[in-house]
Amino acid sequence: MRYSAIILLEEKNLDLPEFIDMLSSVLTSRTPSFEIIIMANGLGGAGLQNQSDISAHGETVKIFTLNRNVSAAACLLAGLKESSGDIIIVCGSYQQITADSFSTMLDAMDDQTDIISPWRQNRVDPFLNQLQSRLFNALTRKITGFTLHDLNCNVKIFRRIVLEETELYGNMYRFLPILAARKGFRTKEIPCDHMQERGRTGFFGMRSYASRLIDILTLYFNTGFTKKPLRFFSSFGVLFFLAGLGLLGYVVTQKFLLGLPIGGRPVVLLAILFMVLGVQAASFGLLGEIIAFTHGRNRKEYAIETII
Amino acid sequence: MPAFLSIVVPLYNEEECVDKLITAIHQALAQEQLDYEIILVDDGSTDNTWPIIAEQKKNDPRLKGIKFRGNYGQTSAMVAGFNQAEGEIIVTLDGDLQNDPADIPALLAKIEEGYDIVSGWRKDRQDHFSRVLPSRVANAIISLSTGVHLHDYGCSLKAYRAECVRSLQAYGEMHRFFPALANMTGARTTELPVKHYPRKFGTSKYGFDRILKVFSDIFAINLIIRFSTTPLKGFALFALPFFLLTLGFGSLAALAIVFQWTSGKALFFFLATALTGMAVVHLTVLGILGELVVATSDLSHSALPEVTKKKLTMTRK
Repeated sequence: MRYSAIILLEEKNLDLPEFIDMLSSVLTSRTPSFEIIIMANGLGGAGLQNQSDISAHGETVKIFTLNRNVSAAACLLAGLKESSGDIIIVCGSYQQITADSFSTMLDAMDDQTDIISPWRQNRVDPFLNQLQSRLFNALTRKITGFTLHDLNCNVKIFRRIVLEETELYGNMYRFLPILAARKGFRTKEIPCDHMQERGRTGFFGMRSYASRLIDILTLYFNTGFTKKPLRFFSSFGVLFFLAGLGLLGYVVTQKFLLGLPIGGRPVVLLAILFMVLGVQAASFGLLGEIIAFTHGRNRKEYAIETII
Repeated sequence: MPAFLSIVVPLYNEEECVDKLITAIHQALAQEQLDYEIILVDDGSTDNTWPIIAEQKKNDPRLKGIKFRGNYGQTSAMVAGFNQAEGEIIVTLDGDLQNDPADIPALLAKIEEGYDIVSGWRKDRQDHFSRVLPSRVANAIISLSTGVHLHDYGCSLKAYRAECVRSLQAYGEMHRFFPALANMTGARTTELPVKHYPRKFGTSKYGFDRILKVFSDIFAINLIIRFSTTPLKGFALFALPFFLLTLGFGSLAALAIVFQWTSGKALFFFLATALTGMAVVHLTVLGILGELVVATSDLSHSALPEVTKKKLTMTRK
């Protein structure tokens, strides 16, 4: 099986049959060896009333329903298990980019690439949405160092092994290309033509912002232990602590040598603050090490490409 | 029982050295008449290192190669090599010919004597003073803090009995500390003077931030060795200075009330006491959390391997 298209169906969607038709025609033109797998995540099952339109595709289209609502990451991994293609096309349930763009993306997958990530050009969604999207991507670029411009596009193409080897969970679905690139998989970004956009317009709520920011923070610290920001955290903690201790010592020496009082001097509070912050940082570093040591025993910190 | 030897070499952009390295290893072991394999680990090289390995592999049945997807560091490369190794004795060395493979037989002899880990000691270090000095300081700190006294932790040329390192969790630059880590299981370590050559080819890939990383690792290693099984003790240690401070500031606060110092001072000392007291509570709670983490892990069962002392005889063919 060459291609497996996994559609993550999150909510009721009346356009699903058209989308499947489009996908089917794009893929048929390349090879008869493909399958389309629909993963209905929780509520998404409600969108399958128009099953008669879909069943016209016969065996090529398979539908699975998850009996409860799980994260996009879990949904994808469940779909991966049911699939058998070498190249996996992951998409949402509506058509975000043009059919030609799909073809271009599929063409771009060659021997030197493992991941194709789209970059929507000529966007048709409201300016405010575009702005917020751009901010999100820019921040992610800044923090992670990977130059991907459009993480929120609902289509991505991967070689099977990328999905099998990259550790994915919870809200990290959006960052899948980055997580994979960190492991050493090669990514290509392809400009695509935007077709439509669904969903909220205007300002995304405060909760959304906070949530996204925390996801990016998690991404930063979750680099695996070879890059170790956690380790440096505890080193800085020690430095802070020593600085605080030094300040305290300075104040005490002044007391004995110059007779300056200790009480009432804000410097003392600053010194205590440094010491507290420092030791807290060092503690979190230690806790992190303990967790890694005890529960991460079998986690491989490297990724092997070949063994001869 | 014939002992089988595995030689593990991490390589990063060493295209000039690879063939010379392989030849030197074969030469060094020719007299030993021992069964051995050479495992070369390509740690994400961007030059011709891997193609050369693949080419050599065609004519050399004793050669094995592992190619990483990206650059993961010497330690990860060694760990990957350990996992592929079939030998009962594992020898690691540098891929840039700074270590001399001719020293390997002497290391093997020490293992035969009954030691579990033999660490190379570069007595005549051929590097610039600016690299040797921080090294000496680091070695002293590591030896004193871990209790495993070696003159040269940074030497990659080491021999291990395979079961000592098979299930060591390590990453980044921690391979220097294998002897200290293995000591947790009772492994016996000794050192042996070995030759050292200055870098013949290529440029050194280390910078100043490496020093920072090494010290950072030393701190972490000590924490792991001392506290990973009893974290509460570690946090108690952290909390100690704050406990003392709380007592100190608390007494001053009490004095301020009893002797009616200015209200500003009284408030100040209360504040200081509160801050330091808070730190004590916080750290204690973290310590309990740490204990919970350890208690819910399977550390007691799977943890660190038992090093069984068996006399290793290498039968000469």
